[in-house]
Amino acid sequence: MKLIFEYEQQPTEHLEQIQTQLDLPIELVRDSLPLPNVNETDIVRHYTNLSKKNFGIDNNLYPLGSCTMKYNPKVSEELARLKGFTSIHPRSPTEYSQGSLEVIWELQEALKEITGMDDVSLQPAAGSQCELLGIMIAKRHFENKNEKRTKVIIPDSSHGTNPASVAMCKLETITVSSDSRGNMDFNEVKKRISPDVALVMVTNPNTLGLYEENLLEIKDLAHQNGTLMYCDGANMNALLGISRPKEQGFDMMHLNLHKTFATPHGGGGPGAGALAVRSFLSDYLPVPRITKKDNVFKLDYKKEKSVGKVHSFYGNFGILVRALCYIRIWGNQIRRVSENAVLNANYLFVKIRDHYHVPYDRRCAHEFVVSAKNIPNGGTIDIAKRILDYGFHPPTVYFPLIVEEALMIEPTETESKETLDRYAEVLVKIASELREKPEIVKEAPHTNPSRLDEVKAARQPNLRWSPQ
Amino acid sequence: MNYIPHTKEDVTQMLKEIGVSSIDELIGNFKPHITSPLKLPEPMNEMQLVSYFSELSGKNKIFKYFVGGGAYDHYSPAVVDHLIKRGEFMTAYTPYQPEASQGMLQAMYEFQSFICLLTGMDVSNASLYDGASALAEAVLLSSSYTKKRLVFVDNGLNPNYYEVLKTYCEGADLEFTNIIDENTCCVISQNPDFYGNIKDLRPLVEKAHHNKALFITCINEPTSLALLKPPGEYGSDIVVGEGQSFGIPLSFGGPYLGFLAVKNFLLKKIPGRIVGMTEDKNGKKGFVLTLQAREQYIRRERATSNITTNQALLALAATIYLATVGRKGLVDVAKNSYYKAHLLYEKLQKVGFKALNEKYFYNEFCVKTPKTASKIFSQLLEQNIVGGLVVDDEKMIVCCTEKNSTADINSYQEALK
Amino acid sequence: MTERRFTQDHEWVELSGDTATVGISNFAQDQLGDIVSIEFPEINSKFKQKDAMAIVDSVKASSDIYCPMDGTIIEVNEKLQDHPELINKFPYDQGWILKLKVSNITQFENLMTQQQYEKFVGEIKE
Repeated sequence: MKLIFEYEQQPTEHLEQIQTQLDLPIELVRDSLPLPNVNETDIVRHYTNLSKKNFGIDNNLYPLGSCTMKYNPKVSEELARLKGFTSIHPRSPTEYSQGSLEVIWELQEALKEITGMDDVSLQPAAGSQCELLGIMIAKRHFENKNEKRTKVIIPDSSHGTNPASVAMCKLETITVSSDSRGNMDFNEVKKRISPDVALVMVTNPNTLGLYEENLLEIKDLAHQNGTLMYCDGANMNALLGISRPKEQGFDMMHLNLHKTFATPHGGGGPGAGALAVRSFLSDYLPVPRITKKDNVFKLDYKKEKSVGKVHSFYGNFGILVRALCYIRIWGNQIRRVSENAVLNANYLFVKIRDHYHVPYDRRCAHEFVVSAKNIPNGGTIDIAKRILDYGFHPPTVYFPLIVEEALMIEPTETESKETLDRYAEVLVKIASELREKPEIVKEAPHTNPSRLDEVKAARQPNLRWSPQ
Repeated sequence: MNYIPHTKEDVTQMLKEIGVSSIDELIGNFKPHITSPLKLPEPMNEMQLVSYFSELSGKNKIFKYFVGGGAYDHYSPAVVDHLIKRGEFMTAYTPYQPEASQGMLQAMYEFQSFICLLTGMDVSNASLYDGASALAEAVLLSSSYTKKRLVFVDNGLNPNYYEVLKTYCEGADLEFTNIIDENTCCVISQNPDFYGNIKDLRPLVEKAHHNKALFITCINEPTSLALLKPPGEYGSDIVVGEGQSFGIPLSFGGPYLGFLAVKNFLLKKIPGRIVGMTEDKNGKKGFVLTLQAREQYIRRERATSNITTNQALLALAATIYLATVGRKGLVDVAKNSYYKAHLLYEKLQKVGFKALNEKYFYNEFCVKTPKTASKIFSQLLEQNIVGGLVVDDEKMIVCCTEKNSTADINSYQEALK
Repeated sequence: MTERRFTQDHEWVELSGDTATVGISNFAQDQLGDIVSIEFPEINSKFKQKDAMAIVDSVKASSDIYCPMDGTIIEVNEKLQDHPELINKFPYDQGWILKLKVSNITQFENLMTQQQYEKFVGEIKE
């Protein structure tokens, strides 16, 4: 395993050599630049070989719950790379960037239609930035009504970003338990709702993969109390063309474009977030807003009520092109995406449910959660590592926190029946391996390197290369 | 056109095994239902998509750019895009299962190393959304560490960065101050600054430390680090900035690449993902995401940041860019940019522009225009040149990179005669 | 030094005059897994019984340590910064976490004795 810093060669040159004197005093100039020089052949080999030690959707099924690892269309990559999109400087005059502004506008319009909301901002770089904005908007909304509300209600199954975003805005989280059917417990919400609660943040379907059955009652309770409803739209892949969060009662929501709308995950990013709101909250959205008049697009910075800016320019534009491409691919047939996502999840679920513990005996939405707690000799982590030996990627493990030894599985709609059958076989096989010859599972994965010492990594951090 | 492989027979078989007669039974309780198809256009096939998007991109005009202000028109070698397009990188998720992600994890370790080497700092994370949000995260970190709430911003911070910082600070109940005293949690300075000035920040660093405030250097144009003193060597506690100059396309403002690096004593507070090197039980070296207990999915409401998604693929692009140009190439890019900017500066002073920079600048400079700045800007636009950033009626900030040829620079001057 | 007593959140306390030494039980360290770092409260900060006063991180989890008796922090075990594994290896001994000057000694009586705590843990395991 060689690091790129261990090469010292003649680099490939890419531009003209200029001889110039730097007219700078010595205290402002650096002494040395300890970077390597590598020729292009070895650059390509080094990173190509690294890529072979990596696993993506392009390799095999990658059913991470709530991540929506669906196939990323290659045509989107081609179109996002059109020079007319990639070569535009953000400070170029807007009269000459009408194509880019139209992309953002069209995507906003499409997402309004999909969510039922009145207005959308595409400035946030991720879902968690949307949450931050959403909470700031709620704070502003209540300030303008002279109400001081300091609390946010979230379910115990929520994604960690929810309470973290609340804390970043110096508000307090109230966590409410889930009931025996896996829904947010209506009676618990009733106990905790008060004029001090600004928001109820709900993921729907929730992280258990279940449609929130008490949603309408919770919404009524919240609205009677002046509390706003926020939807964490990470699981929108279950709802496209079937149900709209606005009609479910939400006042604000976010979408993760790198999940539902098939922009590539890139090993952890970049993503993009869309924050959609009802009209009474429009004025708070970040600036600049895009306006359209007589077919001309402009950027409007004059929004006094706006909560401000979260991105140095207009958002992750390159990702927005890909998301619009995906929506244009499906058009008014986009419902088929969610129908098949739900079909695939339910199919995989019934194929393995007799071999794992099922915490909530309900039909799932586009993902489901099972538990490995009934399987002797090993736990979820062993099962996950053994799945790698069979050439698949494991599902999400140990989340949501309310299910012991959880496996959260979301196949998505782009998987064939054959792939799902094979994955089910693997999951069933591993459960029986744990019963009969557990060592082979406990020693998984049989890769090189195998299970890495995460304790050592945390106790003795080695986080960078240093020159000798 | 669709990406759903099922045949009718597949669907029938699957529904049978689930025990329902139609998909409608599976989605029956997703209420309230939408009763008619969404008002979206008809689906498009690939040929139609190419036509639609080509038309859209054709409505944009590409200029010769002499503008920076947070986004820089540098040349990205072909190798960068070629490698990041590999499906194993592009379609991977966050490396939570390290055994399946050694490729990306090693690349992130290399990225973290490159950032530390360039900035002179001890530890870097594996990227944040962009330079502006990285600055905001650095301020939240400072406040959490010092337990103070006042933020001092030196003159010359990119106004877009200031706006983003303001938004985050308001949410977190932090305030701006114009004096550095014992209540200051951090002192921020951009270097080179928005007007291009290269500053000697040592006196300001001293003042900050004397008042037990953390010093944050903010960098918009990191190719400057090929030539300039690394902030870690003049006392910065945190360095943040924008990595777009490292091989990432202009792309109308995003996606970009934020970086954040700290001195060791702040390690436990650093936001975002970090990759560490470790071993398996046989002593074989490998990489893992580490110090994860800092992050939101474990700390939840006690996390200092809510950040999840980073800009991994772009951090990979930057890593490949830095490896490809190498030590020699990065210095070439920087010298080239420096030279072109100083050349244009001289030429503009010959056609009535007045120099406004204090002393030293890298590749951006500020000038007083002989006519109203917007008029100059329009004149240049007619020659297919975006001549700079108009600050007000008589001020412009102009930028050069290696992509501005001497011919382009002559055209710039010619257009104004 | 008095006997060791326990809270329902798995902290242990030993009292010497009005100084309480606090740590986490063997059961707790086992549940947490390998501890990688600890976040201490400030010296002289005051806490009430059951307030969260410190955070202990393992590789995959982060746990609050709750105050067992009202008091003021007078000392923290700095050695744990570089050697957090002491909490795992010697939870009752070298792995002590902090010392409090308690303001209400009677609270000690209401904590569980060793025997009561062992029974309590036994019931959890079922």
